[in-house]
Amino acid sequence: MNGILTAAAAAALMIALSPPPSQAQAQTRVVPFPGAVRPTTAPPKGPPGPVPHMPDGKPDLSGIWNGQRALPNQPEPEMVPWAAALTKQRTENYSADDPEARCIPAGVPRATPYHYQIVQTPSLVLMLIEGNIHTFRQIFLDRKEHLKLSQPLWYGDSIGHWEGDTLVVDTIGFNDKFWFDMAGHPHTSQLHVIERYHRRDFGDLEVQVTIDDPGAYTKPWVVNRVSTLETQIEISEYVCNENNTDTLHLVGR
Amino acid sequence: MQKTMSCGVLLFAMPLLAHHSFEAEYDFNKQIKLTGTVTKMEWMNPHAHFYVDSKDESGAVTHWNFELGAIPVLLKQGWRKDSLKVGDQVSVEGFLAKDGTKGMANARRVLLPDGRRVFGGSSADTNANQ
Repeated sequence: MNGILTAAAAAALMIALSPPPSQAQAQTRVVPFPGAVRPTTAPPKGPPGPVPHMPDGKPDLSGIWNGQRALPNQPEPEMVPWAAALTKQRTENYSADDPEARCIPAGVPRATPYHYQIVQTPSLVLMLIEGNIHTFRQIFLDRKEHLKLSQPLWYGDSIGHWEGDTLVVDTIGFNDKFWFDMAGHPHTSQLHVIERYHRRDFGDLEVQVTIDDPGAYTKPWVVNRVSTLETQIEISEYVCNENNTDTLHLVGR
Repeated sequence: MQKTMSCGVLLFAMPLLAHHSFEAEYDFNKQIKLTGTVTKMEWMNPHAHFYVDSKDESGAVTHWNFELGAIPVLLKQGWRKDSLKVGDQVSVEGFLAKDGTKGMANARRVLLPDGRRVFGGSSADTNANQ
């Protein structure tokens, strides 16, 4: 293509090259919202079929799941003034200081586009996280009390129990170093996250996240997400620091 | 070997990178489109990169460093480690780096040697839900 494109031609070109409508992420818009982008359409559904069960009768959540996607029409969190101001500052600077861009752990409950694999036993559920850093979460089903931690953690201390067919994961003990999303929603070490995992059918995992942090938010708030089952691939190796050449070029505004 | 730059308002939804904010690093208003020869492929996380030498009408060669998405995202979009080979002729559409680093850009679309067009994976089409 020769010559300078006009703005209209450029727009037409980009529309013509846009991904197909099935790619819901292409139909999103940015707002200050946990998840950074508020989806306008529901995520696609996973493969159909019945929910598999463990020998103990509990639903089997094992499998490779696509990164959690927020459902449309999620509420905005109500922040205390310092948190609102910080989020605004981070967003207006195009999230140039996002720790995740430095290969820092994403913490909980940040959603990513990467897969995670659930490995379930009666006493322990593991989440093998493909990226942003290649790591894991441990959810202990065999104790009822949180550990008395000597220092706060990136992923906190998670204990779980079953409420019917829903795995309820209760996590405290976080440090305050990670962002909830690319918009830059902050938190404090008072953060308490409750995740409710419900395998609706074979291919869809509903995840309801309640975020309670009186240090940064005026009241607890809830985000509803879904992961779809990935049946075609394995989670891949992901070494974030191998080629992270962006850091010097994240200039923001 | 041709190169076209454009400054225009793009009408699609603002995209984000999987690993870092797109607009922290690249400029939507500085679109690049060029053809050239692949000189190197880096199949690594958090972003794959490929390098292209492109010659303008005067014969001057520019060395381009194009950022792609993370490998898990690229795999889903049809990329493979050997999708681009040194010596391949490719056509690339993308966006220039904000900080003005010469030859640095984000690839939004790449036309592969076999005619397949794939998304860059990192700029506009990755899962932005994070």
